[in-house]
Amino acid sequence: MEVNRNVTLTRYAEYNCAFRYIVEEGIEARYIMPPALTKRTEEIGAKYSPDFVCTPFKTTLGSEIEALEAGADTIIMTYGVCRLGYYGELQEQILRDLGYDFDFINLEEYNTGRLRDLLKPVRRLNPKVNVAKLTRAALDAIKMVEYLDEVTAEYYKGCGFEASGEYKKAYKRFLTAMYTAASREDITAGYRRVKEDFQRIPLDKPLRPLRVGIVGEFYTVMDAFSNLETEQKLADMGVEVHRWMNITNQFLHNKGIKNLAVKIRDLCTYQMGPTSTANIWAAKEYAERGYDGLVHIKSANCTPEIDIMPVLQNIGADYKIPVLFLTFDSQTSDVGLMTRLEAFYDMIQMRKKVV
Amino acid sequence: MAKQDKLDKKAVKRVDKQTKKELKKSRKIAKKARKAEKRARKKGTGAPAITIGIPRALLYYRYRTLWTTFFKELGVETVISAPTDRAIMETGSSLVVDETCLSAKIFYGHVNSLIGRCDYIFIPRISSYGRHRNMCVRFDALYDETRNVFRGTNQKFLTCNVDELKDEKEKDAFVDLGYRLGFSHKQAKRAYKRARRADLKRRRQAASEAEQLYRQEGTKILIAGHSYLIEDAFIGRTVTDYLKKSGVIAIRADLVDQSDALKRSLELSPTCRWEVSREILGSIVMHKDKVNGIILMSAFPCGPDAMVNELLTRKLQGIPVLNLVLDGQPDTAGVETRLESFVDIIRFKEGTL
Repeated sequence: MEVNRNVTLTRYAEYNCAFRYIVEEGIEARYIMPPALTKRTEEIGAKYSPDFVCTPFKTTLGSEIEALEAGADTIIMTYGVCRLGYYGELQEQILRDLGYDFDFINLEEYNTGRLRDLLKPVRRLNPKVNVAKLTRAALDAIKMVEYLDEVTAEYYKGCGFEASGEYKKAYKRFLTAMYTAASREDITAGYRRVKEDFQRIPLDKPLRPLRVGIVGEFYTVMDAFSNLETEQKLADMGVEVHRWMNITNQFLHNKGIKNLAVKIRDLCTYQMGPTSTANIWAAKEYAERGYDGLVHIKSANCTPEIDIMPVLQNIGADYKIPVLFLTFDSQTSDVGLMTRLEAFYDMIQMRKKVV
Repeated sequence: MAKQDKLDKKAVKRVDKQTKKELKKSRKIAKKARKAEKRARKKGTGAPAITIGIPRALLYYRYRTLWTTFFKELGVETVISAPTDRAIMETGSSLVVDETCLSAKIFYGHVNSLIGRCDYIFIPRISSYGRHRNMCVRFDALYDETRNVFRGTNQKFLTCNVDELKDEKEKDAFVDLGYRLGFSHKQAKRAYKRARRADLKRRRQAASEAEQLYRQEGTKILIAGHSYLIEDAFIGRTVTDYLKKSGVIAIRADLVDQSDALKRSLELSPTCRWEVSREILGSIVMHKDKVNGIILMSAFPCGPDAMVNELLTRKLQGIPVLNLVLDGQPDTAGVETRLESFVDIIRFKEGTL
């Protein structure tokens, strides 16, 4: 390691493997992996947060506190288009008031629209950063994210039709490979292995399985802990779970907001929020392709997602597709969710038999 | 993949063509109606060609002069919904998702009260005036959400898009709006210019009036909140009425010189992205030494205020701060008790109790 810094970035779905890769291989600082999210994380986060801020704020604050306890001394917080852009400043203030000693890098301060300015925080982390090495590491990390999203999507489509647990094991093995990768070769090897496993393991899939499309708020829809593993629970009932929303589709291979907006012109004219266009588009796409149900996942108090709910209700009415609206906060119970999902599953299954 | 892109491009073209056709059609209809109106006026009879409804909620309070002057200059009749009452709030709440903020619920109540009373309801999409001068995301979605909520009715809506981060300037938005209503670009430009001037004049006057209040003798309390909350007849009026009754000078933080306030806001919060919040923050920086207490007033659950007010309560030291969240409860006793004790604390501190 070149610089003596313990960098951390809050827990975010499984993408921390890519953050770690960039920090360790590109910036050459030490990365402190925040502990896996638990009820405790949410509780301490909620304790120090304002009441009606969105739930990801509470979760990420809790995750930062746990990372500080684990030995981190530098926290990075991303910028964003909605309230996310203000997370950094408020979280820094809260953590300082709690008395922690750390260096806070708030990317919102550097978000001026020029790409050049985003190199400044990197220079702050490591003044002698090797830009060539950083670029290479960033490209590798992007590849890693692409692989991760591809494999995750494939996993949730298949895992409900395999009872022995081999499928899940293969996926977990892949995640471990990503979390420990130190080079491009490691990433590719892990990816190849899981692809081979997925090919090899026989699936007991009916000709026309139940298909459910998942749309929702950027953090909660992807983070399995925050949505209480809704995807896994649905898949375990024997459902093919589809989710368009991930970093690859939203940022790396986005076809452009304009092209997505074209297909939903009858529903909305403007971009209603950071991920609204994509979500409405995905929901309409699922409905048009004859999926059996839609699940909308959001955190409590997420303004853009509250705003698209009437649109989703209209999609549900137009295409006669059932929509399940789920809101998650730190109080949501596992059992309550299970009951709602079971009822939803029974309903779409009965509909499938009838229709 | 390439094929898909081509298809997409074709779809874009098709939609563009369609919208152009629609635009032409709507212009034709509007022009015809106006000519008929002129003829009718010569004869001394007849109703106005088109009426535009404006809901008395949310950004109406901020931009009312701009909007109403613009339409007045063009000679378009406007209808503004009645001040908020309990019925409006309750219909609004029943129309949308529970989690929507109180101010937006009231807005939907106002829209509902206008349905059938005008040809168009004017709901502009105001997104940003530049970097870190955004509006709350709710205003990005307002037009489309309203359209979806009221899809069952035949009401038509009218909009214009202000998003200076994406190079959609306010002026272009209004000129385009006038054009769509069947006026020439020149007419629309003139109307916008006059509306802008009137708006600036009103704002300046309001700011200087507020500035004079700071110089008055007596117990002064700064109310930091959105204009659509403070001026609302049903929820915000309770607070201002009570303060007036109890003999303190209540000064609104949002009535302030905009450019000064935006600059000064950076001292308290360097990355705040919401224009309205930044004006209030800047106003607090400018005036906190001239007042005896600050009331942070917000509607439940206001997104930006939830975070900005938390930061303010953490950063403002040495001055009494009351964090007042209004939830539209019909009885005012709870709010009044809190205000009374807050005023008592300030007077006790001063030694005048």
